[in-house]
Amino acid sequence: MVDEDNDVVMTEQPRERGRERRKGRGLRLGGRGESRQQALLNDEEEEEEEEGGNDRNVLQLFTPLRSVEGWIVLVSGVHEEAQEDDILTLFGAHGHINNLHLNLDRRTGFFKGYALIEYENFVEAQAAISGMNGTKLFFRTISVDWAFSTDPFKGRRSSSLAKPRHKAIS
Amino acid sequence: MAATEEDNGEFYLRYYVGHRGKFGHEFLEFEFRPDGKLRYANNSNYKNDTMIRKEVFLTPSVQKECRRIISESEIMKEDDNNWPEPNRVGRQELEIVMGNEHISFTTSKIGSLVDVHSSQDPEGLRIFYYLVQNSDIVLLLNALVLELQVILVNMLICG
Repeated sequence: MVDEDNDVVMTEQPRERGRERRKGRGLRLGGRGESRQQALLNDEEEEEEEEGGNDRNVLQLFTPLRSVEGWIVLVSGVHEEAQEDDILTLFGAHGHINNLHLNLDRRTGFFKGYALIEYENFVEAQAAISGMNGTKLFFRTISVDWAFSTDPFKGRRSSSLAKPRHKAIS
Repeated sequence: MAATEEDNGEFYLRYYVGHRGKFGHEFLEFEFRPDGKLRYANNSNYKNDTMIRKEVFLTPSVQKECRRIISESEIMKEDDNNWPEPNRVGRQELEIVMGNEHISFTTSKIGSLVDVHSSQDPEGLRIFYYLVQNSDIVLLLNALVLELQVILVNMLICG
């Protein structure tokens, strides 16, 4: 049974910066489970986190990652009054769409501003990205890009080569 | 509204919801890290289930979209001073680092808007409530990649 006894304190401490504005019980009380240093997500072998974090702007190699059933493309900048049909027609022209998610803002009832499109195959997804990125939909410029990538730091961290980091995803 | 710092500065987000009960410590937690890694954990001892952990990397486009959503929600302007304290029913935690702001809010589970309206800070709690409700961007992303829909939906409904 996993319980608090098994919690592992994060190797990475919360940012301690003087200029930072901090708010919330989690930071005031600093009790167990109340700040990110206690994130339960951390597994036992959490070791070389953030090793590549600082040079992330230098050379990040984002290689698209396939999801379970297809290739996921994120469309952002979607006009809040866009309809599912509009998206489907526009993006369906580039290939077969398995799945489309246009999430609603539960407060306003309008679209949240992004769409997730799942294409059956890579080439079609790539075509949609190159064809649609930067184009206009309802007079708003949309950006279209892959949603997921493989570990951008893999291959530049010796330790991550030694240990498969994505065995859960396969 | 998004300042440049919000566009380029560090971004970290962690959300936890859980309780302790008959089936042990049941919780769902996910975390966006500054390097783009999204991590997710879900634990329940129901039917001797064990902890599920997944992780995936998000492209900068997704990170930017998340940042936009947080920024537009204005959650960073709130404070949990007058929010309900976590209780036996459960707790929620939301920690965000964006630019030079760092929040780590803790409150009880929120069943519906009724709880929001009857709290001492309905306006602030409302923002939190909707943000968490809408944070299915994360859950959805996760679900798509990891085929966890069923589990996630259950967790969301049951809290």
